[in-house]
Amino acid sequence: MIRRWFKLLPAPLLRNVLILTVVGMAFIYSSTFRTGEDFVGRQGAWALVGLASLVVTVALGYRFFLSISYSLYALSLILLLVVDVAGATRLGAQRWIHLGLFSIQPSEIAKIATVLALANFLGSRNPVEEEGRTVLGSVALVGVPLLLIMKQPDLGSASLMIPIVAVPLFLWGVRYRYLVVTLLTGFLASPFVWNLLRDYQKKRILVFLNPQLDPLKSGYTAIQSRIAVGAGGLFGKGWLHGTQSQLDFVPEHHTDFIFSVIAEEMGFLGAASLVILYGTLFYQIIQLMERTTDVKAKLLAVGILSLFFFQVLINIGMSFGLFPITGITLPFISYGGSSLVIAFTAIGLLVSIHKERSIF
Amino acid sequence: MRLNILKGIVLIGVCALVLGLFQTQVFQGGYYRNLSEENRIRLVPEEAPRGQVYDRAGKLLATNRASYHLVATPEDVTPDVYPELAHLLKISEREVRERMSSPREYPFAPVVLLRDIPRELLFKVEELRPELPGVSIQTETIRSYPYGPVAAHIIGYLGKINQREYEKGDRERFGMESLIGRSGIEKIYDLRLRGFRGGKQVEVNARGERIRVVAEKTPVPGEDLTLAIDLEFEKRLMELIKDKKATVAFLDLKTNELMALVSSPAFNPNVFVSPSGAAERLQFLKDRDSPLLERGSGAAYPPGSVFKLVTALAALESGKITPQTTFNCPGYFRLKPGGRAFHCWNEKGHGSVDLYRAIERSCNVYFYNVGRLVGADTLAHYARELGLGQTLDLEMTNMAPGLVPDSMWKKNHFKQEWYPGETLSFAVGQSYLLVSPLQILRLAAMLAKDGEWVEPKLIRNPARGADEPKKRIAISEKNIKVIKQGMLKVVNSDYGTGQLARIDFDQLAGKTGTAQAPPKAPHAWMTGFFPYQNPEIAFVVLLEHGGSGGINAARVVKQAIHIWKELYQPV
Repeated sequence: MIRRWFKLLPAPLLRNVLILTVVGMAFIYSSTFRTGEDFVGRQGAWALVGLASLVVTVALGYRFFLSISYSLYALSLILLLVVDVAGATRLGAQRWIHLGLFSIQPSEIAKIATVLALANFLGSRNPVEEEGRTVLGSVALVGVPLLLIMKQPDLGSASLMIPIVAVPLFLWGVRYRYLVVTLLTGFLASPFVWNLLRDYQKKRILVFLNPQLDPLKSGYTAIQSRIAVGAGGLFGKGWLHGTQSQLDFVPEHHTDFIFSVIAEEMGFLGAASLVILYGTLFYQIIQLMERTTDVKAKLLAVGILSLFFFQVLINIGMSFGLFPITGITLPFISYGGSSLVIAFTAIGLLVSIHKERSIF
Repeated sequence: MRLNILKGIVLIGVCALVLGLFQTQVFQGGYYRNLSEENRIRLVPEEAPRGQVYDRAGKLLATNRASYHLVATPEDVTPDVYPELAHLLKISEREVRERMSSPREYPFAPVVLLRDIPRELLFKVEELRPELPGVSIQTETIRSYPYGPVAAHIIGYLGKINQREYEKGDRERFGMESLIGRSGIEKIYDLRLRGFRGGKQVEVNARGERIRVVAEKTPVPGEDLTLAIDLEFEKRLMELIKDKKATVAFLDLKTNELMALVSSPAFNPNVFVSPSGAAERLQFLKDRDSPLLERGSGAAYPPGSVFKLVTALAALESGKITPQTTFNCPGYFRLKPGGRAFHCWNEKGHGSVDLYRAIERSCNVYFYNVGRLVGADTLAHYARELGLGQTLDLEMTNMAPGLVPDSMWKKNHFKQEWYPGETLSFAVGQSYLLVSPLQILRLAAMLAKDGEWVEPKLIRNPARGADEPKKRIAISEKNIKVIKQGMLKVVNSDYGTGQLARIDFDQLAGKTGTAQAPPKAPHAWMTGFFPYQNPEIAFVVLLEHGGSGGINAARVVKQAIHIWKELYQPV
């Protein structure tokens, strides 16, 4: 019975997820063992919570989540409002809600809730009949959490909301002109957005355009991270031997900049293998999407794909200067409970889509 | 179709990342690896302690002391520290902020707020440390001269190395912040005193905190030096001439070492080391009395009547006169009847004088006659034989060679013939003639040693000259004896010009000089040796524009000899 149940699961996908989680723990250890705090143990505990969440999600099935998606969405908006009022401030941003033993990051919940709500919303509408209204509705659906997250301020998570809406809309079948108009509107609105940004965010973007602008302050992180990645060379400096992160030249190295640690210690061979591993994971998600016939499932899967894909792209890209510095975590690898549990839950949804692909 | 576009986007994204990593890690890997090493490894140079300088009794003339700098790491400083610091340093908050933002070598490097802080401030800061996050004290050893201006000219002073010296210098010995000897012993023996720098390669973290020492080289301290001078003697001689522009020097005839070389006014070499001495430094440089000038070897003056010793020796050696040769002194001298009158210092005249009496009374007319007989070029020849007009081989900087003129020199210099009248001035130590007081000291020493060549030295070396063959000047001992007898009478005869220097129950031999230096007062000279029988020391005194040699210089000589006797011949 259990064996049959397992046979229904997409084993390669789960294997890749587990490999990523273990790699993450290895490098969380490397970047924190000098502090004496047990980050790895906590990450392991969170991974177990994540696995439990995955099993529960699979058991409940993605349809259940789609059916409660609007409620989930509303709940996440409330949490975002709560964090705005009563959240904890870390590193100059209000992103966390403390719940006794641990704290949660509502923006992580908001992302997956938005993906679910959007899949449900788009899946029950037809591009031929009500295209304009649907596009507006989708933009509104994503716009509210986007503005709330931006206000925290968390530019990175906020920017991730854009592909979350753009990619499913694209796959849903929106005409290109709508997509172009939407993107153009966004582009024209950018001066207003620029004014909404905090000074340090503006600085980061300017420094991204020219890292030498202010090499000791805003540019410091960008330069040090790039040095770490570059210094890894072909073979790397060896596990636990990356000087850039071990000596704190790269800040936040167990969370946002964990890729710098991996690239420095494992070199190009290790870093590129990791990228390819992610690529494989993306390919498996796309395959899984192709095999399902449920439109909502397709939209849900592509939403999760774009969530992961852009996180990986931006996080790894910023480590060597392809993108500006933003507080985006690397899925399954960066230290952080909320992000890990949500990622596992998302995988649970995908597994459930795979399992129930041939229900009709 | 749209799904394929999506696949394409994912593929492009993955490829972009892999290519970007390849570019950064493989193509530019070496470059970034260097940068990461530069980040991590910091070279902390360590200056070698400079050698100490002792006097002949083993007292410290130059040593090293700890200096404390108030520093702050701006990244660690909290805003409420600024007013606190402003209050402590008695400067404005703005000033504190400005110093805090001065450029630094690397992030988290401390900024020096105030160098070489006084002890009271040091204790206050240490007390307040818990309330001053980011503020700390840095220790450094700096040069210190415990006796300040005493013997300052001899020891010299230090200054910061300049770009050219640094580029030329040995990295092992000269750092970018190194101090380098600028005068005196500090300059001449700079390399010996300096030693070899060491340093540490330390691994630091992003906050500049040291993690471990990767490699270490201990500095080799510089050699110590012992000088021949006697600090106590220097101090007391300084007291004697402290308000004058003057120099006094004593030579130990046994070893040819300078026991004392005092020049007034003096300076405090400590101000060249301490950063707080900038104002005083400028003062020393601008002072019209030139306190930085060592007058004993660094300046040349007309010797006046002291030079008559040379004129007499030249005449005796060239056979123009014998000690008994007599000339009449009516108080003046003319080269030809009706010509210009050259006056004797005694307008009434000395009457009939022989060589002994001429030296005793310093009769100008006698030496005008002798000078005319000998001629300027022979005079110049013997002056050079006696060490005038050439730089001493002494461990000093910026020594003045002086000037011994002759007809050739005048032709080259002024395109003019030598006039016979100039020979007369030359014979009594005027005209173009310039000598340094130490050249005169050497002259007196060579006379005291009956013609043995003397090269004064500042570095103590008890074994010096023991195995070297003794060098002699080309002047006969017999003639030198004559001069010495004359010098004895200068002090001990009731007609002598140096009577004021007479020492009770002892015999001092000397010669005074009052060198004209219009429009100011003449320079007062006296040189000689002591005691007359078996001399132990030679001396020279020069008072710049000090008036009469027989009065002012002789007085100083008498007091100086008394001090020497107190120190070296206690009853």
